[in-house]
Amino acid sequence: MRRIVLWVALAVLLLCVLFPLYWVIATSLKTQRDAFAMPPVWLFAPTFENYAKVLNNGVFIRAFFNSVVISLSASVISVGVGALVAYGLVAQDEPTKRQNEKFILSLRIAPPLIFIIPTYFLAAQMKLLNNHWIVIGVYAFVNIPFAISLLITFFEDIPRELRDAAKVDGAREFTIFREIFLPVALGGIVATFILCVLFTWNEFFIALVLTGRDTQTLPVSITSFLTFQGVQWGPLTAAAALVMLPMLVLGMLVQGKVVRGMSLGSIKG
Amino acid sequence: MPGSPGMAGLAGSGAMKDATTYFYRPIVLLFGSVSVILTVYVLWLTLHNISLLRPGQESFIGFDNYVRLLFDGRAINALGRTVLFTVAATVIEVALGLAISLLVDREFLGKRIVRGILLVPIVMTPVVVGLTWRFLLDPSNGMMNYLLSTIGLGPVDWLGNPNVALFSLLMADIWQWTPFVVLLTMASLESLPGDPQNAARVDGAREWQVLWFITLPALKRALMVVALIRAIDAVKAFDIFYIMTRGGPALSTETLNLYGYISAFTNFDISYSLTIALVLTILTNVALLLLYNLAFKAPKQGET
Repeated sequence: MRRIVLWVALAVLLLCVLFPLYWVIATSLKTQRDAFAMPPVWLFAPTFENYAKVLNNGVFIRAFFNSVVISLSASVISVGVGALVAYGLVAQDEPTKRQNEKFILSLRIAPPLIFIIPTYFLAAQMKLLNNHWIVIGVYAFVNIPFAISLLITFFEDIPRELRDAAKVDGAREFTIFREIFLPVALGGIVATFILCVLFTWNEFFIALVLTGRDTQTLPVSITSFLTFQGVQWGPLTAAAALVMLPMLVLGMLVQGKVVRGMSLGSIKG
Repeated sequence: MPGSPGMAGLAGSGAMKDATTYFYRPIVLLFGSVSVILTVYVLWLTLHNISLLRPGQESFIGFDNYVRLLFDGRAINALGRTVLFTVAATVIEVALGLAISLLVDREFLGKRIVRGILLVPIVMTPVVVGLTWRFLLDPSNGMMNYLLSTIGLGPVDWLGNPNVALFSLLMADIWQWTPFVVLLTMASLESLPGDPQNAARVDGAREWQVLWFITLPALKRALMVVALIRAIDAVKAFDIFYIMTRGGPALSTETLNLYGYISAFTNFDISYSLTIALVLTILTNVALLLLYNLAFKAPKQGET
Protein backbone atom coordinates (compact mmCIF):
# COMPACT_ATOMS: atom_id res chain seq x y z
CA MET A 1 0.00 0.00 0.00
CA ARG A 2 2.74 2.47 0.99
CA ARG A 3 4.63 1.47 -2.15
CA ILE A 4 1.67 2.43 -4.31
CA VAL A 5 1.31 5.79 -2.58
CA LEU A 6 5.01 6.41 -3.12
CA TRP A 7 4.91 5.58 -6.82
CA VAL A 8 1.77 7.60 -7.46
CA ALA A 9 3.26 10.57 -5.62
CA LEU A 10 6.51 10.26 -7.56
CA ALA A 11 4.67 10.06 -10.86
CA VAL A 12 2.62 13.20 -10.09
CA LEU A 13 5.71 15.03 -8.90
CA LEU A 14 7.79 14.20 -11.95
CA LEU A 15 4.90 15.02 -14.26
CA CYS A 16 4.49 18.46 -12.66
CA VAL A 17 8.22 19.14 -12.85
CA LEU A 18 8.81 17.92 -16.37
CA PHE A 19 5.61 18.77 -18.22
CA PRO A 20 6.26 22.54 -18.65
CA LEU A 21 9.74 21.76 -19.96
CA TYR A 22 8.44 19.08 -22.29
CA TRP A 23 5.74 21.39 -23.63
CA VAL A 24 8.23 24.16 -24.46
CA ILE A 25 10.53 21.78 -26.31
CA ALA A 26 7.62 20.10 -28.10
CA THR A 27 6.32 23.48 -29.24
CA SER A 28 9.73 24.49 -30.52
CA LEU A 29 9.63 21.45 -32.82
CA LYS A 30 6.16 22.14 -34.20
CA THR A 31 5.03 24.09 -37.22
CA GLN A 32 3.30 27.40 -36.64
CA ARG A 33 -0.08 25.80 -37.33
CA ASP A 34 0.41 22.87 -34.93
CA ALA A 35 1.74 25.11 -32.18
CA PHE A 36 -1.48 27.08 -32.03
CA ALA A 37 -3.94 24.28 -32.64
CA MET A 38 -6.68 23.96 -30.07
CA PRO A 39 -7.10 21.28 -28.79
CA PRO A 40 -3.33 20.82 -28.64
CA VAL A 41 -1.61 18.47 -31.06
CA TRP A 42 0.11 15.66 -29.16
CA LEU A 43 1.55 13.75 -32.08
CA PHE A 44 3.35 15.69 -34.79
CA ALA A 45 6.20 15.41 -37.25
CA PRO A 46 9.07 17.39 -35.71
CA THR A 47 10.44 20.25 -37.75
CA PHE A 48 13.54 22.31 -37.13
CA GLU A 49 12.31 25.43 -38.91
CA ASN A 50 12.07 27.41 -35.65
CA TYR A 51 15.65 26.53 -34.79
CA ALA A 52 16.77 27.50 -38.28
CA LYS A 53 15.03 30.85 -37.86
CA VAL A 54 16.71 31.49 -34.51
CA LEU A 55 20.16 30.38 -35.67
CA ASN A 56 19.92 32.69 -38.68
CA ASN A 57 19.13 35.62 -36.42
CA GLY A 58 22.32 37.69 -36.11
CA VAL A 59 21.20 39.35 -32.87
CA PHE A 60 20.67 35.98 -31.18
CA ILE A 61 24.03 34.61 -32.36
CA ARG A 62 25.84 37.68 -31.09
CA ALA A 63 24.03 37.39 -27.76
CA PHE A 64 25.10 33.75 -27.56
CA PHE A 65 28.69 34.79 -28.17
CA ASN A 66 28.41 37.57 -25.57
CA SER A 67 26.99 35.16 -23.00
CA VAL A 68 29.84 32.71 -23.57
CA VAL A 69 32.55 35.38 -23.36
CA ILE A 70 31.05 37.16 -20.35
CA SER A 71 30.27 34.05 -18.28
CA LEU A 72 33.63 32.42 -18.98
CA SER A 73 35.70 35.55 -18.27
CA ALA A 74 33.78 36.51 -15.14
CA SER A 75 34.00 32.93 -13.82
CA VAL A 76 37.74 32.64 -14.50
CA ILE A 77 38.32 35.84 -12.54
CA SER A 78 35.97 34.80 -9.72
CA VAL A 79 37.50 31.36 -9.28
CA GLY A 80 41.07 32.65 -9.63
CA VAL A 81 40.64 35.37 -7.02
CA GLY A 82 38.36 33.17 -4.92
CA ALA A 83 40.94 30.37 -4.76
CA LEU A 84 43.68 32.73 -3.56
CA VAL A 85 41.44 34.21 -0.87
CA ALA A 86 40.14 30.80 0.21
CA TYR A 87 43.73 29.52 0.47
CA GLY A 88 44.67 32.46 2.66
CA LEU A 89 41.62 32.00 4.87
CA VAL A 90 41.94 28.26 5.54
CA ALA A 91 45.49 28.90 6.77
CA GLN A 92 44.20 31.26 9.48
CA ASP A 93 43.03 30.29 12.95
CA GLU A 94 39.35 29.47 13.41
CA PRO A 95 38.05 32.86 14.72
CA THR A 96 39.81 34.91 12.02
CA LYS A 97 38.52 32.58 9.36
CA ARG A 98 34.91 32.60 10.63
CA GLN A 99 34.88 36.37 11.00
CA ASN A 100 36.11 36.99 7.46
CA GLU A 101 33.83 34.34 6.03
CA LYS A 102 30.83 35.90 7.75
CA PHE A 103 31.66 39.28 6.31
CA ILE A 104 32.06 37.83 2.82
CA LEU A 105 28.73 36.02 3.04
CA SER A 106 26.94 39.12 4.31
CA LEU A 107 27.82 40.84 1.02
CA ARG A 108 25.35 38.63 -0.79
CA ILE A 109 22.17 39.59 1.05
CA ALA A 110 21.74 43.09 -0.40
CA PRO A 111 19.33 43.33 -3.36
CA PRO A 112 21.21 43.94 -6.63
CA LEU A 113 19.17 47.11 -7.18
CA ILE A 114 21.14 48.96 -4.53
CA PHE A 115 24.55 48.53 -6.14
CA ILE A 116 23.43 48.36 -9.74
CA ILE A 117 21.95 51.87 -9.84
CA PRO A 118 25.16 53.61 -8.70
CA THR A 119 27.13 51.39 -11.10
CA TYR A 120 24.78 52.30 -13.93
CA PHE A 121 24.95 55.97 -13.01
CA LEU A 122 28.77 55.96 -13.00
CA ALA A 123 29.03 53.82 -16.13
CA ALA A 124 26.61 56.12 -17.96
CA GLN A 125 28.72 59.14 -17.09
CA MET A 126 31.88 57.37 -18.26
CA LYS A 127 30.15 56.13 -21.45
CA LEU A 128 30.85 52.50 -20.51
CA LEU A 129 27.34 51.12 -20.93
CA ASN A 130 28.17 49.24 -24.11
CA ASN A 131 31.39 47.71 -22.83
CA HIS A 132 32.03 44.03 -22.10
CA TRP A 133 34.46 44.72 -19.29
CA ILE A 134 32.03 46.59 -17.09
CA VAL A 135 29.63 43.62 -17.22
CA ILE A 136 32.42 41.10 -16.64
CA GLY A 137 33.72 43.19 -13.72
CA VAL A 138 30.33 43.40 -12.03
CA TYR A 139 29.69 39.67 -12.45
CA ALA A 140 33.13 38.85 -11.06
CA PHE A 141 32.42 41.14 -8.12
CA VAL A 142 29.13 39.36 -7.45
CA ASN A 143 30.56 35.85 -7.82
CA ILE A 144 33.82 36.24 -5.90
CA PRO A 145 32.17 36.04 -2.43
CA PHE A 146 30.30 32.94 -3.54
CA ALA A 147 33.45 31.34 -4.99
CA ILE A 148 35.38 32.07 -1.80
CA SER A 149 32.84 30.47 0.51
CA LEU A 150 32.39 27.39 -1.64
CA LEU A 151 36.14 26.92 -2.21
CA ILE A 152 36.81 27.18 1.53
CA THR A 153 34.67 24.06 2.03
CA PHE A 154 36.81 22.18 -0.52
CA PHE A 155 40.16 23.46 0.78
CA GLU A 156 39.21 22.48 4.33
CA ASP A 157 39.07 18.85 3.16
CA ILE A 158 42.79 18.92 2.31
CA PRO A 159 44.77 17.39 5.20
CA ARG A 160 46.93 19.89 7.06
CA GLU A 161 49.85 17.45 6.99
CA LEU A 162 50.29 18.00 3.25
CA ARG A 163 50.77 21.71 3.84
CA ASP A 164 53.00 21.25 6.86
CA ALA A 165 55.22 18.74 5.08
CA ALA A 166 55.72 21.11 2.17
CA LYS A 167 56.59 23.93 4.55
CA VAL A 168 59.20 21.80 6.28
CA ASP A 169 60.75 21.26 2.86
CA GLY A 170 60.95 25.05 2.55
CA ALA A 171 58.23 25.55 -0.05
CA ARG A 172 56.88 29.09 -0.40
CA GLU A 173 53.17 29.76 0.16
CA PHE A 174 52.43 30.40 -3.48
CA THR A 175 54.20 27.17 -4.44
CA ILE A 176 52.09 25.21 -1.93
CA PHE A 177 48.97 26.87 -3.33
CA ARG A 178 49.88 26.04 -6.93
CA GLU A 179 51.52 22.65 -6.52
CA ILE A 180 49.37 21.12 -3.77
CA PHE A 181 46.05 22.90 -3.23
CA LEU A 182 45.10 23.48 -6.85
CA PRO A 183 45.69 19.88 -8.03
CA VAL A 184 44.23 18.21 -4.92
CA ALA A 185 41.05 20.33 -4.92
CA LEU A 186 40.72 20.34 -8.70
CA GLY A 187 37.30 18.67 -8.64
CA GLY A 188 35.94 21.31 -6.26
CA ILE A 189 37.51 24.13 -8.27
CA VAL A 190 35.94 22.87 -11.48
CA ALA A 191 32.55 22.54 -9.74
CA THR A 192 32.83 26.11 -8.42
CA PHE A 193 33.74 27.33 -11.90
CA ILE A 194 30.75 25.56 -13.44
CA LEU A 195 28.40 27.02 -10.84
CA CYS A 196 29.78 30.52 -11.51
CA VAL A 197 29.18 30.02 -15.25
CA LEU A 198 25.65 28.80 -14.50
CA PHE A 199 24.79 31.82 -12.33
CA THR A 200 26.27 34.30 -14.79
CA TRP A 201 24.63 32.70 -17.81
CA ASN A 202 21.21 32.69 -16.12
CA GLU A 203 21.48 36.16 -14.59
CA PHE A 204 19.03 38.71 -16.01
CA PHE A 205 18.72 41.82 -13.86
CA ILE A 206 22.33 43.04 -14.00
CA ALA A 207 22.54 42.23 -17.71
CA LEU A 208 19.29 44.08 -18.39
CA VAL A 209 20.64 47.25 -16.81
CA LEU A 210 24.29 47.19 -17.78
CA THR A 211 24.40 45.74 -21.28
CA GLY A 212 23.98 47.75 -24.44
CA ARG A 213 23.35 46.81 -28.06
CA ASP A 214 26.72 45.11 -28.54
CA THR A 215 27.02 43.40 -25.15
CA GLN A 216 23.51 41.96 -24.70
CA THR A 217 23.49 38.48 -23.18
CA LEU A 218 21.00 35.74 -24.03
CA PRO A 219 18.40 36.33 -21.28
CA VAL A 220 18.18 39.99 -22.35
CA SER A 221 18.19 39.22 -26.05
CA ILE A 222 15.43 36.64 -25.76
CA THR A 223 13.02 39.31 -24.51
CA SER A 224 13.18 40.88 -27.99
CA PHE A 225 10.92 38.05 -29.18
CA LEU A 226 8.19 39.52 -26.99
CA THR A 227 7.13 42.12 -29.53
CA PHE A 228 4.16 44.45 -29.49
CA GLN A 229 2.60 42.60 -32.41
CA GLY A 230 2.30 39.57 -30.18
CA VAL A 231 4.60 36.82 -29.08
CA GLN A 232 6.24 34.64 -31.72
CA TRP A 233 6.02 31.47 -29.67
CA GLY A 234 7.65 29.18 -32.25
CA PRO A 235 11.04 30.90 -32.50
CA LEU A 236 10.78 31.97 -28.86
CA THR A 237 10.48 28.43 -27.54
CA ALA A 238 13.37 27.35 -29.77
CA ALA A 239 15.50 30.20 -28.43
CA ALA A 240 14.45 29.33 -24.86
CA ALA A 241 15.54 25.72 -25.39
CA LEU A 242 18.91 26.85 -26.76
CA VAL A 243 19.43 29.14 -23.75
CA MET A 244 18.62 26.60 -21.06
CA LEU A 245 19.92 23.32 -22.49
CA PRO A 246 23.62 24.11 -21.90
CA MET A 247 22.75 24.90 -18.28
CA LEU A 248 20.82 21.65 -17.83
CA VAL A 249 23.92 19.79 -19.00
CA LEU A 250 26.21 21.78 -16.70
CA GLY A 251 23.78 21.31 -13.82
CA MET A 252 23.84 17.54 -14.27
CA LEU A 253 27.65 17.57 -14.32
CA VAL A 254 27.83 19.09 -10.84
CA GLN A 255 24.61 17.53 -9.53
CA GLY A 256 25.44 17.08 -5.88
CA LYS A 257 27.12 20.46 -5.57
CA VAL A 258 24.37 22.65 -7.01
CA VAL A 259 22.21 22.63 -3.90
CA ARG A 260 25.22 23.00 -1.61
CA GLY A 261 26.47 25.89 -3.73
CA MET A 262 23.11 27.59 -3.98
CA SER A 263 22.46 27.47 -0.26
CA LEU A 264 25.86 29.08 0.24
CA GLY A 265 24.85 31.58 -2.40
CA SER A 266 22.31 33.23 -0.15
CA ILE A 267 23.46 32.47 3.34
CA LYS A 268 25.54 29.89 5.12
CA GLY A 269 23.64 26.61 5.29
CA MET B 1 47.45 47.05 0.37
CA PRO B 2 47.88 45.88 3.94
CA GLY B 3 51.51 44.71 3.84
CA SER B 4 54.00 47.24 5.11
CA PRO B 5 57.53 47.01 3.71
CA GLY B 6 58.88 46.40 7.21
CA MET B 7 57.20 42.98 7.27
CA ALA B 8 59.40 41.69 4.46
CA GLY B 9 62.42 42.20 6.67
CA LEU B 10 61.28 39.45 9.03
CA ALA B 11 63.08 36.29 8.10
CA GLY B 12 62.29 32.66 8.81
CA SER B 13 59.07 30.83 9.56
CA GLY B 14 57.37 33.83 11.16
CA ALA B 15 57.30 35.60 7.81
CA MET B 16 56.11 32.38 6.18
CA LYS B 17 53.01 32.28 8.36
CA ASP B 18 52.25 35.92 7.70
CA ALA B 19 52.53 35.39 3.99
CA THR B 20 49.16 33.64 3.97
CA THR B 21 47.46 36.85 5.05
CA TYR B 22 48.49 38.44 1.72
CA PHE B 23 46.23 35.93 0.01
CA TYR B 24 43.01 37.26 1.51
CA ARG B 25 43.60 40.67 3.10
CA PRO B 26 43.70 42.72 -0.12
CA ILE B 27 40.40 41.32 -1.37
CA VAL B 28 38.62 41.50 1.99
CA LEU B 29 39.88 45.08 2.29
CA LEU B 30 38.72 45.86 -1.24
CA PHE B 31 35.26 44.45 -0.61
CA GLY B 32 35.07 46.19 2.76
CA SER B 33 35.97 49.59 1.33
CA VAL B 34 33.71 49.18 -1.70
CA SER B 35 30.74 48.40 0.57
CA VAL B 36 31.46 51.35 2.83
CA ILE B 37 31.99 53.76 -0.08
CA LEU B 38 28.93 52.43 -1.88
CA THR B 39 26.73 52.79 1.21
CA VAL B 40 27.87 56.36 1.80
CA TYR B 41 27.50 57.18 -1.90
CA VAL B 42 23.99 55.70 -2.01
CA LEU B 43 23.00 57.65 1.12
CA TRP B 44 24.42 60.82 -0.42
CA LEU B 45 22.52 60.25 -3.67
CA THR B 46 19.22 59.71 -1.82
CA LEU B 47 19.57 63.13 -0.23
CA HIS B 48 19.52 64.76 -3.68
CA ASN B 49 16.99 64.89 -6.48
CA ILE B 50 19.06 63.36 -9.26
CA SER B 51 17.12 62.52 -12.37
CA LEU B 52 18.60 61.54 -15.69
CA LEU B 53 15.83 63.56 -17.34
CA ARG B 54 17.17 66.77 -15.83
CA PRO B 55 20.95 66.42 -16.01
CA GLY B 56 22.93 69.09 -14.24
CA GLN B 57 19.99 70.40 -12.21
CA GLU B 58 20.31 68.26 -9.10
CA SER B 59 20.28 69.85 -5.69
CA PHE B 60 20.42 68.80 -2.06
CA ILE B 61 16.94 68.15 -0.75
CA GLY B 62 17.58 66.49 2.61
CA PHE B 63 15.14 63.75 3.56
CA ASP B 64 12.47 64.74 1.06
CA ASN B 65 12.81 61.44 -0.82
CA TYR B 66 12.12 59.48 2.36
CA VAL B 67 9.08 61.63 3.17
CA ARG B 68 7.87 61.18 -0.39
CA LEU B 69 8.22 57.41 -0.04
CA LEU B 70 6.26 57.42 3.20
CA PHE B 71 3.28 59.07 1.48
CA ASP B 72 3.61 57.28 -1.85
CA GLY B 73 0.57 55.04 -2.07
CA ARG B 74 2.06 53.12 -4.99
CA ALA B 75 5.13 52.26 -2.91
CA ILE B 76 3.07 51.22 0.12
CA ASN B 77 0.95 48.93 -2.05
CA ALA B 78 4.10 47.50 -3.62
CA LEU B 79 5.50 46.82 -0.16
CA GLY B 80 2.30 45.01 0.77
CA ARG B 81 2.61 42.85 -2.35
CA THR B 82 6.26 42.11 -1.59
CA VAL B 83 5.30 40.90 1.89
CA LEU B 84 2.37 38.86 0.56
CA PHE B 85 4.45 37.27 -2.19
CA THR B 86 7.42 36.54 0.07
CA VAL B 87 5.38 35.02 2.89
CA ALA B 88 3.17 32.98 0.56
CA ALA B 89 6.08 31.72 -1.57
CA THR B 90 8.20 30.81 1.47
CA VAL B 91 5.43 29.09 3.43
CA ILE B 92 4.04 27.14 0.47
CA GLU B 93 7.43 26.11 -0.88
CA VAL B 94 8.73 24.96 2.51
CA ALA B 95 5.50 23.13 3.45
CA LEU B 96 5.13 21.49 0.06
CA GLY B 97 8.83 20.70 -0.15
CA LEU B 98 8.78 19.14 3.32
CA ALA B 99 5.73 17.04 2.48
CA ILE B 100 7.30 15.78 -0.74
CA SER B 101 10.63 14.97 0.87
CA LEU B 102 8.94 13.04 3.71
CA LEU B 103 6.95 11.11 1.15
CA VAL B 104 9.97 10.06 -0.89
CA ASP B 105 12.25 9.54 2.11
CA ARG B 106 12.94 5.86 1.63
CA GLU B 107 15.12 3.77 -0.57
CA PHE B 108 13.73 3.06 -3.99
CA LEU B 109 15.05 2.29 -7.41
CA GLY B 110 15.92 5.39 -9.39
CA LYS B 111 16.28 7.79 -6.47
CA ARG B 112 19.32 9.29 -8.18
CA ILE B 113 17.29 9.90 -11.31
CA VAL B 114 14.53 11.59 -9.33
CA ARG B 115 17.12 13.85 -7.75
CA GLY B 116 18.52 14.67 -11.17
CA ILE B 117 15.08 15.56 -12.49
CA LEU B 118 14.33 17.74 -9.47
CA LEU B 119 17.43 19.71 -10.37
CA VAL B 120 15.99 20.75 -13.74
CA PRO B 121 13.83 23.72 -12.60
CA ILE B 122 16.59 24.91 -10.27
CA VAL B 123 19.24 25.28 -12.98
CA MET B 124 16.80 26.53 -15.60
CA THR B 125 17.32 30.14 -16.65
CA PRO B 126 14.71 32.16 -14.70
CA VAL B 127 13.85 34.19 -17.80
CA VAL B 128 13.04 30.93 -19.57
CA VAL B 129 10.93 29.84 -16.59
CA GLY B 130 8.98 33.08 -16.91
CA LEU B 131 8.50 32.56 -20.64
CA THR B 132 7.46 28.95 -20.12
CA TRP B 133 4.76 29.90 -17.66
CA ARG B 134 3.62 32.83 -19.73
CA PHE B 135 3.23 30.33 -22.56
CA LEU B 136 1.33 27.77 -20.43
CA LEU B 137 -0.92 30.50 -19.02
CA ASP B 138 -1.69 32.16 -22.35
CA PRO B 139 -5.43 32.98 -22.18
CA SER B 140 -6.40 31.68 -25.63
CA ASN B 141 -3.78 29.09 -26.62
CA GLY B 142 -2.35 28.12 -23.23
CA MET B 143 -2.18 24.59 -21.93
CA MET B 144 -3.53 25.54 -18.52
CA ASN B 145 -6.84 26.84 -19.83
CA TYR B 146 -7.11 23.84 -22.13
CA LEU B 147 -6.68 21.49 -19.15
CA LEU B 148 -9.28 23.46 -17.21
CA SER B 149 -11.69 23.29 -20.14
CA THR B 150 -11.43 19.49 -20.25
CA ILE B 151 -12.90 19.37 -16.74
CA GLY B 152 -15.50 21.95 -17.64
CA LEU B 153 -14.01 25.03 -16.01
CA GLY B 154 -14.13 28.33 -17.80
CA PRO B 155 -11.07 30.11 -19.12
CA VAL B 156 -9.09 32.09 -16.56
CA ASP B 157 -7.20 35.21 -17.61
CA TRP B 158 -4.16 34.19 -15.59
CA LEU B 159 -1.94 37.18 -16.27
CA GLY B 160 -4.55 39.72 -17.39
CA ASN B 161 -6.82 39.71 -14.35
CA PRO B 162 -5.50 41.95 -11.55
CA ASN B 163 -6.96 39.64 -8.91
CA VAL B 164 -5.23 36.55 -10.28
CA ALA B 165 -1.93 37.72 -11.76
CA LEU B 166 0.09 37.72 -8.53
CA PHE B 167 -0.98 34.15 -7.83
CA SER B 168 0.04 33.09 -11.32
CA LEU B 169 3.50 34.47 -10.62
CA LEU B 170 3.48 32.65 -7.30
CA MET B 171 2.73 29.42 -9.15
CA ALA B 172 5.78 29.87 -11.40
CA ASP B 173 7.99 30.63 -8.39
CA ILE B 174 6.67 27.56 -6.55
CA TRP B 175 7.33 25.41 -9.60
CA GLN B 176 10.92 26.57 -9.84
CA TRP B 177 11.92 26.56 -6.17
CA THR B 178 10.00 23.81 -4.37
CA PRO B 179 12.43 21.21 -5.79
CA PHE B 180 15.26 23.15 -4.14
CA VAL B 181 13.52 22.77 -0.76
CA VAL B 182 12.93 19.08 -1.48
CA LEU B 183 16.59 18.40 -2.29
CA LEU B 184 17.88 20.26 0.76
CA THR B 185 15.35 18.60 3.08
CA MET B 186 16.06 15.17 1.60
CA ALA B 187 19.73 15.67 2.35
CA SER B 188 19.05 16.58 5.99
CA LEU B 189 16.59 13.72 6.40
CA GLU B 190 19.24 11.29 5.22
CA SER B 191 21.81 12.66 7.63
CA LEU B 192 19.49 12.17 10.64
CA PRO B 193 20.33 9.21 12.83
CA GLY B 194 17.49 6.67 12.60
CA ASP B 195 17.79 5.43 16.19
CA PRO B 196 15.42 7.83 18.03
CA GLN B 197 12.65 7.15 15.51
CA ASN B 198 13.10 3.40 15.76
CA ALA B 199 13.24 3.50 19.56
CA ALA B 200 9.98 5.44 19.63
CA ARG B 201 8.37 2.95 17.26
CA VAL B 202 9.47 0.09 19.51
CA ASP B 203 7.86 1.92 22.42
CA GLY B 204 4.61 1.91 20.49
CA ALA B 205 4.52 5.45 19.13
CA ARG B 206 2.33 5.96 16.10
CA GLU B 207 3.80 7.15 12.80
CA TRP B 208 2.42 10.70 13.12
CA GLN B 209 3.78 10.94 16.66
CA VAL B 210 7.25 9.93 15.47
CA LEU B 211 6.98 12.53 12.71
CA TRP B 212 5.64 15.32 14.93
CA PHE B 213 7.75 14.79 18.05
CA ILE B 214 11.01 13.45 16.66
CA THR B 215 11.57 13.99 12.95
CA LEU B 216 10.21 17.53 12.62
CA PRO B 217 12.06 18.96 15.64
CA ALA B 218 15.26 17.42 14.31
CA LEU B 219 14.64 19.10 10.94
CA LYS B 220 13.76 22.48 12.41
CA ARG B 221 17.13 24.06 11.88
CA ALA B 222 17.47 22.90 8.30
CA LEU B 223 13.94 24.08 7.52
CA MET B 224 14.60 27.50 9.02
CA VAL B 225 17.72 27.88 6.93
CA VAL B 226 15.96 26.90 3.73
CA ALA B 227 13.03 29.22 4.59
CA LEU B 228 15.47 32.06 5.14
CA ILE B 229 17.13 31.40 1.78
CA ARG B 230 13.78 31.34 -0.01
CA ALA B 231 12.58 34.49 1.76
CA ILE B 232 15.72 36.44 0.81
CA ASP B 233 15.35 35.38 -2.82
CA ALA B 234 11.59 36.03 -2.92
CA VAL B 235 12.05 39.63 -1.76
CA LYS B 236 14.51 40.14 -4.62
CA ALA B 237 12.42 38.24 -7.21
CA PHE B 238 12.61 40.14 -10.48
CA ASP B 239 13.03 37.96 -13.57
CA ILE B 240 9.66 36.20 -13.70
CA PHE B 241 7.87 39.44 -12.77
CA TYR B 242 9.58 41.32 -15.57
CA ILE B 243 8.95 38.60 -18.14
CA MET B 244 5.41 37.59 -17.19
CA THR B 245 3.65 40.83 -16.21
CA ARG B 246 6.13 43.71 -15.85
CA GLY B 247 4.14 44.81 -12.81
CA GLY B 248 0.78 44.86 -14.57
CA PRO B 249 -2.10 44.64 -15.07
CA ALA B 250 -2.98 47.90 -13.33
CA LEU B 251 0.13 47.60 -11.11
CA SER B 252 -1.38 44.49 -9.50
CA THR B 253 1.94 42.60 -9.52
CA GLU B 254 4.31 45.47 -8.80
CA THR B 255 6.58 44.60 -5.88
CA LEU B 256 8.84 47.13 -4.19
CA ASN B 257 11.88 45.73 -5.99
CA LEU B 258 10.13 46.15 -9.34
CA TYR B 259 8.92 49.64 -8.43
CA GLY B 260 12.53 50.56 -7.62
CA TYR B 261 13.60 49.28 -11.03
CA ILE B 262 10.83 51.19 -12.81
CA SER B 263 11.63 54.39 -10.92
CA ALA B 264 15.24 54.16 -12.04
CA PHE B 265 14.98 52.91 -15.60
CA THR B 266 11.56 54.04 -16.80
CA ASN B 267 11.23 57.31 -14.88
CA PHE B 268 15.02 57.87 -14.56
CA ASP B 269 14.43 59.08 -11.02
CA ILE B 270 17.77 57.86 -9.68
CA SER B 271 17.60 59.33 -6.18
CA TYR B 272 14.07 58.18 -5.46
CA SER B 273 14.75 54.71 -6.77
CA LEU B 274 17.79 54.39 -4.52
CA THR B 275 15.68 55.52 -1.59
CA ILE B 276 13.30 52.65 -2.35
CA ALA B 277 16.19 50.20 -2.67
CA LEU B 278 17.77 51.35 0.58
CA VAL B 279 14.52 51.19 2.55
CA LEU B 280 13.81 47.74 1.08
CA THR B 281 17.27 46.53 2.12
CA ILE B 282 16.84 47.83 5.65
CA LEU B 283 13.33 46.39 6.02
CA THR B 284 14.50 43.01 4.71
CA ASN B 285 17.42 42.87 7.10
CA VAL B 286 15.31 43.86 10.10
CA ALA B 287 12.62 41.31 9.22
CA LEU B 288 15.15 38.53 8.69
CA LEU B 289 16.96 39.34 11.91
CA LEU B 290 13.69 39.30 13.88
CA LEU B 291 12.67 36.03 12.27
CA TYR B 292 16.06 34.50 12.89
CA ASN B 293 16.04 35.43 16.57
CA LEU B 294 12.46 34.29 16.97
CA ALA B 295 13.32 30.91 15.51
CA PHE B 296 16.65 30.18 17.11
CA LYS B 297 16.70 32.08 20.39
CA ALA B 298 13.18 31.70 21.76
CA PRO B 299 11.98 28.29 22.91
CA LYS B 300 8.60 27.01 21.74
CA GLN B 301 8.71 28.40 18.24
CA GLY B 302 8.62 25.57 15.85
CA GLU B 303 7.30 24.51 12.52
CA THR B 304 7.18 26.87 9.58
